[in-house]
Amino acid sequence: MPQAPFDDTITYNQLVNDPYAVYRRLRAETPVVRVKAVGRTMITKAADTRAIKDDAALWSSDDPNTPMERAFHAHTLMRKDGEEHKRERMAMAPTFSPKNLKTIWGPAYEKLANEYLDRLPRDEVVDLFPTLAGPLAARILAVILGIPGASDDQMQHWSQALIDGAGNFGWDREPFERVDHAHVAMNAEIERMIPKLKAEPDETALSVMINAEDPLRISQIFGNIKIAIGGGINEPRDALLTILYGLLTNPEQLEEVKRTGAWGDAFEEGVRWVAPIQVSSRRATEDAVVGGCDIPKGDVVMTIQASANHDEDIWDAPEKYDALRKRSPHQSFGSGPHHCLGTHLARMMLGKIMLPLIFERFPNIELVAPETVVWKGFGFRGPLNLPVRLN
Amino acid sequence: MIELTFVGADGARKTVTAPEGTSVMQAARDHDIEAIRAECGGAMACATCHCYVDDADAGKVGTACEDERDMLDFAETELRETSRLSCQIRLTPALNGLTVHLPDAQI
Repeated sequence: MPQAPFDDTITYNQLVNDPYAVYRRLRAETPVVRVKAVGRTMITKAADTRAIKDDAALWSSDDPNTPMERAFHAHTLMRKDGEEHKRERMAMAPTFSPKNLKTIWGPAYEKLANEYLDRLPRDEVVDLFPTLAGPLAARILAVILGIPGASDDQMQHWSQALIDGAGNFGWDREPFERVDHAHVAMNAEIERMIPKLKAEPDETALSVMINAEDPLRISQIFGNIKIAIGGGINEPRDALLTILYGLLTNPEQLEEVKRTGAWGDAFEEGVRWVAPIQVSSRRATEDAVVGGCDIPKGDVVMTIQASANHDEDIWDAPEKYDALRKRSPHQSFGSGPHHCLGTHLARMMLGKIMLPLIFERFPNIELVAPETVVWKGFGFRGPLNLPVRLN
Repeated sequence: MIELTFVGADGARKTVTAPEGTSVMQAARDHDIEAIRAECGGAMACATCHCYVDDADAGKVGTACEDERDMLDFAETELRETSRLSCQIRLTPALNGLTVHLPDAQI
């Protein structure tokens, strides 16, 4: 088989600002392609991205040449395979059990959601990114992880510092210094909670991990909490803003969803349309073939789930938000051993609780100047602002 | 090898064979049964490999454990008494000839 073609025309700025136009062209012309700007082979078709994620033996999650370990001060479960990954994941999994979601975290989120909605001003323009989506995602995560003393601002700052550090492929000093400071504060907050949770165990992630019969090493426990901080705020935040934008710019769909109560469809379509996590990396452990192209052992590919979710083989007019379309499985939560641990939590928080609640509270919510909404991001993507008038 | 039959929501039947010890989910994936989505790959974490065991086989297959029942609550389609996560059913000689019915959606 031939090697994947090489593309040196795509720029990093294009990927940050308008990635879907790039991916549309790649799916049509060169679905497996080495992209100079990211130094990786991009995989853009749904069948290929899914097959890679599902074959964890051939495709390792350990991409050794990324700034992630430097940023997280740890080799985290996100970059581990097999039993090693499974042990660290399972240590945290009990917190996210269906029973806990239903009996503890669901009611906790509903209460918080009401409180945060109560605080929003009516009849004036308010940006839902900094007033609702960001802080509420931070708050419920702090509660679930077992570090409720961390403020919304701290949680959001730590999360962004971890993300910026892990994405610092230019190895600049500033993002690493910022995340180093964040670690000092995160470690202090986690350490402060440990004696309390040892004395009074609960279902939070920190408690479940430190009180386990066969606990992880303390460094792994800290690493897990930080992975959850780095990976648990922006997704529900961006998903909520994306879905609200989709519904508010398509009022006829919104009316129909209100009528039928199909908020779950509105949710799934939103995370399909603009996947909060757009790309993942996998390293070939053997020589492999993807889409008719040779991928030599050791090469790192990027599975572009954002592109898979717009694959014309599966969806008509994939670039459009359509909450009424027939549901087809998207790949926004990934698949295989690293399938998102927060999947059911996200579906419950947004699809079952927040979406019906916000439209019940503010039936005439309107998006103010939709053309001013800025979308950004290559690895993670969502709106940077969502100006609305609530009434 | 164990023989088993998948019956789609549209009634289409597909009979396949799979090695003893394989899960029903894996057998479905190995034979491109797309109605078994199996996103988490068998970790009982996603509820996208939901199936209905045929009434005639329900006794042989057994019922779901508590954790599996909890996860089944997240399945997209209605639950029945015979609902199982196909990743949790191991194929044994006693299950030769098993029939499972597939829901019309997993997500």
